[in-house]
Amino acid sequence: MTDPVSVSGLVKTFGTTRALDGLDLSVKPGEVHGFLGPNGAGKSTTIRILLGLLHADAGTVRLLGGDPWRDATELHRRMAYVPGDVTLWPGLSGGEVIDLLLQVRGGRVNTSRRDELIERFDLDPRTKGRAYSKGNRQKVALIAALASDVELLILDEPTSGLDPLMEIVFREVVREEQEHNGRTVLLSSHILAEVEALCERVTIIRDGRTVDTGSLAEMRYLTRTSIRAELSGPVAGLADLEGVHDLRIDGGTGDDTVVNFDVDAAALGSALRFLDSQGVRALTSSPPTLEELFLRHYGGTTEAAR
Amino acid sequence: MNVLAGTRRLARLAFRRERTIAPWWLLAVVGLGLAMVSYIDRNMPTPSVLATYAETINDNAFFRALGGGDSVIADRGFMTAWRSGGFLYLLTAIAALLAVVRYTRADEDMGRTELLRSGLVSRFAALTSALLVAATVSLVAGALTAVAQIGVGLAPVGSVAYGAAITAAGLVFGSIAAVAAQIGRNARTARAITLFALAIAYLLRYAGDASGQAWMTYISPMGWIHAVQPYRYDRWWMLAVIAGIVAVLLAIAYLLSNRRDLGEGLLPERRGRATAPHLRGPAGLSWRLHRGLFTKWAIGTGVFAIGAAGVGTIVPDIDALPPDSFGLLQQGFGGDGSAGDYVNFFLWAGILLFAHVISIYPVLMIARLRAEERSGRAELAAGTPMTRVRWAAGQLYVTALGTAALFALTGLVLGFCYGLFTAELPGPLGRVIVAALSCVPAAWLIAAVGFLAYALTPRYAVPISWAVWAWTAVLGKIAGPLYNVWGGTPLEPFHYLPNTLAGEPFSPSTILTTVVLAAVLVCAGLTALRHRDFGR
Repeated sequence: MTDPVSVSGLVKTFGTTRALDGLDLSVKPGEVHGFLGPNGAGKSTTIRILLGLLHADAGTVRLLGGDPWRDATELHRRMAYVPGDVTLWPGLSGGEVIDLLLQVRGGRVNTSRRDELIERFDLDPRTKGRAYSKGNRQKVALIAALASDVELLILDEPTSGLDPLMEIVFREVVREEQEHNGRTVLLSSHILAEVEALCERVTIIRDGRTVDTGSLAEMRYLTRTSIRAELSGPVAGLADLEGVHDLRIDGGTGDDTVVNFDVDAAALGSALRFLDSQGVRALTSSPPTLEELFLRHYGGTTEAAR
Repeated sequence: MNVLAGTRRLARLAFRRERTIAPWWLLAVVGLGLAMVSYIDRNMPTPSVLATYAETINDNAFFRALGGGDSVIADRGFMTAWRSGGFLYLLTAIAALLAVVRYTRADEDMGRTELLRSGLVSRFAALTSALLVAATVSLVAGALTAVAQIGVGLAPVGSVAYGAAITAAGLVFGSIAAVAAQIGRNARTARAITLFALAIAYLLRYAGDASGQAWMTYISPMGWIHAVQPYRYDRWWMLAVIAGIVAVLLAIAYLLSNRRDLGEGLLPERRGRATAPHLRGPAGLSWRLHRGLFTKWAIGTGVFAIGAAGVGTIVPDIDALPPDSFGLLQQGFGGDGSAGDYVNFFLWAGILLFAHVISIYPVLMIARLRAEERSGRAELAAGTPMTRVRWAAGQLYVTALGTAALFALTGLVLGFCYGLFTAELPGPLGRVIVAALSCVPAAWLIAAVGFLAYALTPRYAVPISWAVWAWTAVLGKIAGPLYNVWGGTPLEPFHYLPNTLAGEPFSPSTILTTVVLAAVLVCAGLTALRHRDFGR
């Protein structure tokens, strides 16, 4: 089975700005794939190319086995999209917009599914588009996409404007979609907790280029673990160990010593053996959060890039 | 807090924004006023001709009521104000009401007012500054007109009274807009309420003057303004009555704005339907979104067709008038220039006038494509199998049918009412309908050019399609006589239509050529749209 989304070497320029500069992205069947990047990194541009709204200047783009520019109509029958900034028709009610977006796919509309989602997202379908708040506009587009009988969902920052309760509903529904219906989801997001909760694999982009991609587990493996340990005596030689970084030693109460350091995944074993030999009393190890992964790609380097 | 705190700042901001808007309205008001003076001078050069005209007009209630009052007199100044007054009052009123809504409810809709009100800005500041702008625009429109009219040698007192009436029109409808902006929950509703009031005021005034039922004129704000009767009675006290009414309206507006919450109105936001089982394709969407526009156009076209038929009853009397310009006019519309049966030429001229106005409808529909794309709403649709080509095709389909329907309606109403008023039904009904429908392809062609522009350069689509429309109107047979080109120019599509009403043979090749040309442009447009980047 081919990957639902497969992009390589994608380039798109607007005037003199190079919005995408050799971007790669591949989404495997049945996965929820996180698509991360700061504002202006090129997430929405990539998505618009995937939708056939923009024409790629170079690179290859395959969507559900087809060419998104040439076969847009056919491909759109098999996918649904939620834009990052949803604008609705001022005179149409939310219910009308949902029905429209479902019905233009052709075939029968699953009205019980639609009604269930309207209920779960707590949307008033009779309110006119002009009277909805940002979060409610987002819900209208989300319900229409989630109620569609499609293989692939492309969601561009779908939860911006949703309150925390609705965010939980969103996560539940996306998980159900993936588990019970085997749908593939490309989820562009700023909210790292959401990506961490939903996605097996992520792609991180910056300045129109892919800087990291893979499963969260793999990425974590490539990243350091933070260790905090309380030792019964003074510590010596830890700093000389291969793979130990940012060591900080604080005197604890009495003879105790508290050490904080980061360690490469490959050196974790030897570091733990060393701590054991020093008489470890308490140990906390935290795997790198996505936030740390993210900051590692941006924090230092964006500074350096300037 | 000072009740007017922040007004000065807001007013300065509003005047600054108005700099690019008001000048066009002022130009239109003064320009149209002067154009009418020169029209009167050209066509009614001597007192005796003027007297003949006045007599003919007084004999026809439909025509006489166009300019208001119960009779006309043979006076150059009076005739000028009688001809141009209706337009100038209307233009100034619209300029003022749009300004009031623009700086009150529209800003509130956009959230700008909320931002400003968090600072040291009172709840009356926006309303007050909007009214200051509207009053200034109305005052300048009146003053410039008065100066211009005096400049072309009309009576100074009458000219000042005329200018004052123009200002009064702006003030009355600006105040109505101020109330409407408190009532409606959004700018659209506020504008709709005020424009509806304007339309009703105009119709009441016309109906009252035409039928002699004076009460209808007296309850209409337009009636009060026309009652000033510049260059004849110069009723200054009427202006005092209007000032009193304006004061009452403003008091209501301020009271309401003191009592309501930001963003709220007296009219509840209407709720829509929870489902739309029949909304399932591009044409359905286009119709659902733009049926309101079509309905307004259909009502407008119908009402004006009735009016045109009524005005047309004067045509059989034209034999009494000097034949010079009517001969030229008749030649322009396909006649031999001899006096005699003007009716068929009048009806054809009427249809062409309608054709130029109706051609605005497709221009607006094309502009809406651009608005849909720019707002991001089209992107929501483009994520579905309703991709841009199908989406645009749906809009074009509705535009084409809507345009044709407006022409059919014009022909039907104009032909039927003319027959009814002259008591000779069916009379020219069938021929009028055929003649009206023969204009459809030319209007389609204007839309097709606009669509091609939208597909190629979306950013300039709106100005280009308006320019194309203006081109056909200015170079057409209707506007031609205004600058002494009788019969128009062959540079616009309506020129090639034969006057089948007066017996010229129907020309299938003209129709076919225009349709094919429009189709080619539309296909080119769809192809271009298919190949360009889409979205915001």
